Amino acid sequence: MRMLQRIIWNNRGEFLEGLLVTGQISLIAIAVAMAVGLVICLIRMYCRPLRCLAILYIEFCRSTPIYVQLMWVNYVWPELFGWPQSFFAAGWTALALQSSGYLAETFRSGIEGVVRGQREAALSTGLSPYLTMRWVILPQAVLMMTPSLMNQFLVVVKSSCLVSVIAVPDLMYRGLRLTSIWFEPIEILSFTAFLYVAIVFAISAAIKWYSDRVRSRYA
Amino acid sequence: MVGDWIQVVTGSLFWEYRSILVRGLIINFYVFFLAGVLAVGMGLVACLARLSPLRALRWCGTFYAELFRNTPEYVLLVWVHFVPPLVLTLLLHTRINFSPLFSAVVALGLASSGYFTETFRAGILSIPRGHIEAARSTGLSGVLTFRWVILPQAIRKMLPESLNQFISLLKSTTLVSLISVPDLMYQVSMITQEQMRPMPLYSGAAIVYFVIILSLAALVRRFSESWRAVGRA
Repeated sequence: MRMLQRIIWNNRGEFLEGLLVTGQISLIAIAVAMAVGLVICLIRMYCRPLRCLAILYIEFCRSTPIYVQLMWVNYVWPELFGWPQSFFAAGWTALALQSSGYLAETFRSGIEGVVRGQREAALSTGLSPYLTMRWVILPQAVLMMTPSLMNQFLVVVKSSCLVSVIAVPDLMYRGLRLTSIWFEPIEILSFTAFLYVAIVFAISAAIKWYSDRVRSRYA
Repeated sequence: MVGDWIQVVTGSLFWEYRSILVRGLIINFYVFFLAGVLAVGMGLVACLARLSPLRALRWCGTFYAELFRNTPEYVLLVWVHFVPPLVLTLLLHTRINFSPLFSAVVALGLASSGYFTETFRAGILSIPRGHIEAARSTGLSGVLTFRWVILPQAIRKMLPESLNQFISLLKSTTLVSLISVPDLMYQVSMITQEQMRPMPLYSGAAIVYFVIILSLAALVRRFSESWRAVGRA
């Protein structure tokens, strides 16, 4: 117990800061991924000439391992595009890259999941295509997509521990550094792992609660 | 910079080190295979525990699945590599080390066994109760019912999902380079340190993984579609 206090409680600041960085990088990554994913999804669905490119992008993002993407973004992008210049930016870029591919497909299936007849009915009552999208398709699509969107956020949080590899000071990085300072891996690494499990579990419980509620209310 | 692009396209640096890189890729598949066996085995055990009539066993199975589904692979990998050997050393008073390959297989196997547990459970639960009751009432024993009525249907239901799990397991085998298992990514980072030219190598590695995983995923998709069609007929 004394040991726990000395190593965990006295270093609570480190763990908290690490958690903060993990949260920050995950939120930035999911926000960017949503924006990029939406654009890619719209290109894939409505822009014929660029469709092939969009599909290639989606497939690339979805079928390359996140660690490979992280290394690729971190080492190759600065040389190719002159960006990102910091490890933090490289971290969220890689996380967003991976998720944007998945989210593009999520958005597409959400929009296509709204029954065709609804769109036709809305158009034939005189709503413009924009208004149809805004008031008929989107409200239903958003409702259906939210669980998988949250699921993707869960995946981002889970893979965000990898950014410690490129020295972004997130929770995992702090855990590893404290381990090398104190050399007490049993307590520190176990506590770090426990924190991750607790966060991810809380998020997945929230997802389950939400999707059960949606299902019971609308289906 | 143009020269680098040409190297990405022609892969000359890749070609120069082909034997090392191919060996790395083989290690990837080796880890994948062993971890896959472990994951399916543990997934089956945990799934049976979750479906058992004993509440304590059910609870253990649920805890197991939730624990490993919710732990990031990398965290689990580092934890398995450093913590259990130390605990064992303290308990047994002899020095114990896990080889990186061993830790990698155990960590990745456990991590995906959580998902397999859920997949198997969903497959078995999808069998209508009536089939089981009918089988039992015709005089089949519990084991025979499982073998001839539940399993053939359940496997058909859970196969596509399991194949997807295998693909994500293959993707996560790239992480093992972080505990210095000499897989493809590890070799790439070693050669990068030697040559100081990250661009062609990391791009090449990304393309190699992309091609392999994309073609496997396409295969899985085709296979599971035809499988589903057979199931319907």
